[in-house]
Amino acid sequence: MITAALLGNPNVGKTTLFNALTGANQYVGNWAGVTIEKKEGFFGKNVKIVDLPGIYAMDTYSNEEKISKEFLQRDDVDVVINIVDASNLSRNLYLTFQLRQFNKPVVLVLNMMDVAKAKGIEIDCDKLSKRLGVTVIPISATKKTGINKLKEVLENSNFFTSLIDNDCQLDNEADIYRHIEEILKECTRTTGGDTITPTERIDKLVLNKYLAYPFFILVMYLIFQFTFSWVGQPLSDMLDMLVNDYLVPWVGSLLSDSNEWFQSLIIDGIMGGVGSVIVFLPVILTLFLGISFLEDSGYMARAAFLMDKIMRRMGLSGKAFIPMMVGFGCSVPGIMSTRTLESEKDRRLTALLVPLMSCNAKLPVYVLLASVFFPGNQTLIIFSLYLLGIAMAFIVGWIFDKTIFKKDEEPFIIELPEYKMPEMRDLLIHTWRKGESFLKKMGTVIFAASVIIWFLSSFNFSGFADINDSFLSYLGKAINPIFIPLGFGTWQNSVSLLTGIVAKEVVVGSMGVLYGGDLKSILPGFFNPLSAYAFLVFVLLYTPCISTVAAVKKEYGGKMMALSIVYQILLAWVVAFIVYSLGNLILGII
Amino acid sequence: MSINDLKTGQSAVIHAIGGNPKLAKRLKALGYIEGTRVTVRGSAPLGDPIIIKLRGFDIALRRKDAEFIKVREG
Repeated sequence: MITAALLGNPNVGKTTLFNALTGANQYVGNWAGVTIEKKEGFFGKNVKIVDLPGIYAMDTYSNEEKISKEFLQRDDVDVVINIVDASNLSRNLYLTFQLRQFNKPVVLVLNMMDVAKAKGIEIDCDKLSKRLGVTVIPISATKKTGINKLKEVLENSNFFTSLIDNDCQLDNEADIYRHIEEILKECTRTTGGDTITPTERIDKLVLNKYLAYPFFILVMYLIFQFTFSWVGQPLSDMLDMLVNDYLVPWVGSLLSDSNEWFQSLIIDGIMGGVGSVIVFLPVILTLFLGISFLEDSGYMARAAFLMDKIMRRMGLSGKAFIPMMVGFGCSVPGIMSTRTLESEKDRRLTALLVPLMSCNAKLPVYVLLASVFFPGNQTLIIFSLYLLGIAMAFIVGWIFDKTIFKKDEEPFIIELPEYKMPEMRDLLIHTWRKGESFLKKMGTVIFAASVIIWFLSSFNFSGFADINDSFLSYLGKAINPIFIPLGFGTWQNSVSLLTGIVAKEVVVGSMGVLYGGDLKSILPGFFNPLSAYAFLVFVLLYTPCISTVAAVKKEYGGKMMALSIVYQILLAWVVAFIVYSLGNLILGII
Repeated sequence: MSINDLKTGQSAVIHAIGGNPKLAKRLKALGYIEGTRVTVRGSAPLGDPIIIKLRGFDIALRRKDAEFIKVREG
């Protein structure tokens, strides 16, 4: 068995090559301590390929580079596959030169030979191989040419270990680039001058002063519609119906002879919990299909470029816009998509802010209270909550940026790659992997939490009980005083908010059960418009649901999860308190 | 003169890279070396960041970072 490290600049077709070499035979994990994906795959019986993060150099202090460096220093790495963009050799070969310090054989894969040819670049591969002292294999990963040659070389371990040519001990960037330019002068020939590329033509429209933002909004709208209206949500609803209208009654009939509490455990606890996980899946899959498409096509980098100035105000870079926008649909895929961000700071800070974007599940709560207390003004009230969430993201982002994330200041340097049509195979593999990891890792956390909440809401010290007299209701009564200064301190509200931790839309259902009757006529006895609004503000901002918390834990670990839970409770309380007190003050004056 | 002083479509030759060492190192690794020709391809509609073309590829940079790329005519 030989281990090959796959390395190269971003946007040179590394993932496409990795998928072409390994097919579906790959495993995804995390590098220790950071949220950078570690992908391993196999081809044949005896070649293992480890896909390292896309980097431009080995020594410019990013986590991606550190990981790659540490990995290459390991003894069990037999060969480095360095994939480069044949149409842009000078920058790509810089990394190649830095790879020499590891004293491992290098196979230089010249990808996009077809693109280079179209640009009028001719490359003498034999000469290049001699000058660089490495095996050179020209391929086109998208057109699948040259891949077999590469496989053959790897399978037969047919690479030569080059000795560093001592004529140039290169240790600064300028010397390396000068040396690269000399080599390229000998080994390549460029015909035809600078012509306007298709990418430049597209950018003239897509990044145009007047059209850029309308086009950007259109793209976001399409992705959103695709996920939440056209494909993802309808599939989720179908799955939800399948579970609740068919599977649950069927299981119920199977269990009709058994214990009442056992039935409740299986149906309310486990099936309720697992059901709530499964129905997220289609939304997540479609959303990631959309995001991968943007990413692979080259538009994502442009979106980051367009949004950078705005996102900077909350301490983030432009790319963080995407997870935030996704958060309006559902925080779970929003947090999962923070992985695509450039720096660890951006990833963490964005994950903390995403739940402030008011998600779909909170809408039923808004609709209920707004229709009872603000008839005729529902839209305005609901819209104000969405705006409040966005405003909070800016404020909290600014505060976190100045405090806990202070040290990690990354310059914004982002390549705008050439546009290309994404490879269907890459999109599907990426999307499927997201779904798989979601089911495997988050499923267990949500499952456990659902069973715990079920237990608390179905039992008291004397055994199986109604929710009105359960552990959860005791808990609700105990924490109730916290909510009195916010104007909505009834134990029914406290318990509803607690159950809302399972999923936000549950708040409405719980209120129905706990107040016992038609909410529209009952609620005015417990709320006035101001306390109702304070309650909505609290629902908007308080602790994210279990699925979201599980996503934070999976991506960023327990500490971040705790931070996410605690800061949002505090924020929700403080803001609801301000709203309620300020409201009373103003109403008093009027 | 820094790269920020160039108008869209204008090109110049890199004279020096300043700023904090981390930024300078990253830029140099990307090929921002003295004597290399750069062209400003445009800016975001809000004026920042800008797109710089160099060695046949495009990089987006914030103006506050681009300020450290000193250029001369040529």
